[in-house]
Amino acid sequence: MTSTFVDLDVRPILRAGGEPFAEIMAAVTALEPRQGLRLLATFKPVPLFSVLGAKGYAHEAKELGGGDWEILFTPAGGDEAAAPAAVATDAAHWPAPVQELDNRELDPPEPMVRILAATEALSKGEVLAALLCREPVFLLPELAKRGHAWSGGFEPDGKTYKILVRIGTANQAA
Amino acid sequence: MIGASLSRWTMSYFAAALLALVAAEIMMIAGYGFPGAPVAAPETLILVHVVVIGWLSMLMCGALLQFVPVLVATPLYSNTLSLPALVSLVAGLGALILGFLQLDGRVASPLPFLPIAAVLLIAGFALILWNLGRTLAAASAVALPARFVVVGLASIACTVALGAIFAFVLGGAIGAGPLVALTAAGLPIHVVAGLGGWLTFTAMGVSYRLLAMFMLAPELEGASTRIALYLGAAALAVAIAGGTAMVLTGHGPAPALLAALALALPALALYGKDALHLYRARRRPVIELNSRMAAVALLGFAASAVLVVVLLALGQLGERIGAVIFLTVFGWLSGLGLAQLYKIVAFLTWLECYGPVLGKAPTPRVQDLVVERHARPWFTLYFVAVGGGTVALLADVPIGFRLAAVVLLAATAGIVGQLIRTRRLVEVDAAGRFPQGARRPRLLLSCEG
Repeated sequence: MTSTFVDLDVRPILRAGGEPFAEIMAAVTALEPRQGLRLLATFKPVPLFSVLGAKGYAHEAKELGGGDWEILFTPAGGDEAAAPAAVATDAAHWPAPVQELDNRELDPPEPMVRILAATEALSKGEVLAALLCREPVFLLPELAKRGHAWSGGFEPDGKTYKILVRIGTANQAA
Repeated sequence: MIGASLSRWTMSYFAAALLALVAAEIMMIAGYGFPGAPVAAPETLILVHVVVIGWLSMLMCGALLQFVPVLVATPLYSNTLSLPALVSLVAGLGALILGFLQLDGRVASPLPFLPIAAVLLIAGFALILWNLGRTLAAASAVALPARFVVVGLASIACTVALGAIFAFVLGGAIGAGPLVALTAAGLPIHVVAGLGGWLTFTAMGVSYRLLAMFMLAPELEGASTRIALYLGAAALAVAIAGGTAMVLTGHGPAPALLAALALALPALALYGKDALHLYRARRRPVIELNSRMAAVALLGFAASAVLVVVLLALGQLGERIGAVIFLTVFGWLSGLGLAQLYKIVAFLTWLECYGPVLGKAPTPRVQDLVVERHARPWFTLYFVAVGGGTVALLADVPIGFRLAAVVLLAATAGIVGQLIRTRRLVEVDAAGRFPQGARRPRLLLSCEG
């Protein structure tokens, strides 16, 4: 687990019309092995996610309101002993699912069994989509333990829960 | 972290609870407590508290430590706090029994057992409340079933507070006028807060989710559920706050309790309508034993409510209160508890043992851990015994009640035997019982990881 975060607020630079990339990279270079970076920006800096992902940082973006964003960059695999955190990931840049399951009519815990069975048959980086009739609370920690990234939520109808699982990429940027 | 994992100590709570149930049934067979002794006798108080703290509250606490995280899709705040809470509750119940025995001089120790019991039980329930409260507070949204649980948790706080006042006054630790008045007249409020608020209201909330989950029925979020919640919560507030105010101003709590009943009955009717809807709207044609037995328990609940109204109309509620409480506790609460335990133990054991290897190796289904045709006769016997016991109490036939208790004990032992077989995975075909990487469950606690 990352113990500390270094704060970097690039909003003044951005508001002044400047380009904070150099500042950010300097801050990242200065980080200790287990340190993370808390970045405050005036937009969601999507390109940065892959740049820092390549340097081994996972990210978690949160909109703060007023158009501002807080992004936590966490060194992946910072602490081997720590339990994997079952945190949802931003799936916007994932490839299209190679397999889709409709598990809405299955008795619990059959939906969980089918999803885990399907994940075993897919290759790293591939995405599985599944429809469920409720939030799969026991599945999520199991996906995290197996190192899969996931992203899920209720569809607008409020009854169908759609989950995307990306195989073996829990510690990489999306 | 999002999602829920296994609650480490839930099985220990269940084991302690079932031991207390068996102990209470043995007391009933032996004629200890009501109807062999008066309703307010120390023996009856011991019997009642072994049932409601030892059995039902332990069962409820163990179940909530596992299912509040499921209800709100948030992990339990602390697995560590569950063990000291369990120890405090068990020790508190022990001290409470000794304290009741002191009341009629059968225990002559100078130790103030009742106040000690109050402190231990406050500590135990406070740890549970803190743990569940922090879990609920961390949730992004609290669905309707979880709101019933919140009202139930508020009620246990009131129940324990009143009980502690009684214990401090009866144990001679305090003698303030208003508290003495509450001890003299507040017993019905304590009973309503405990049985109606804590146990019944929480069971209603949990059952909404469990019934929907196990029968593939749509989750109920509609007006009737919402109104049931508000009316029920209002009934409890009137009974507890109103009743306490009446007692403190020198009146009896009866008018407040009657007003609460008037609010509670429509709430129960709406709950009954919702439960019926869940059974009718289910997408699963054949339902499992736990859902079928839960329906019998729901009928027990309805029968309890009808019995209250009929006895009230006949002016006999006071003298027949023992039968009402027996039917509520054993027909509704214990019936629902045992029915759902049958499924919950199987599911948690399955998840603990096979979770790590799901999809990697062939694994048994949850239903392979149980043999319903072996468990069904025990459940049938159980509910027959509850019916018989209720009739015996209404008809004033104490020996009939003791005979019913014998059947009740046999049925309970049969169900417990089935639970142990499930936990030990005895029913699973030996060849596929432990695939490579499966975790062998221990009887009394669950491993994380």
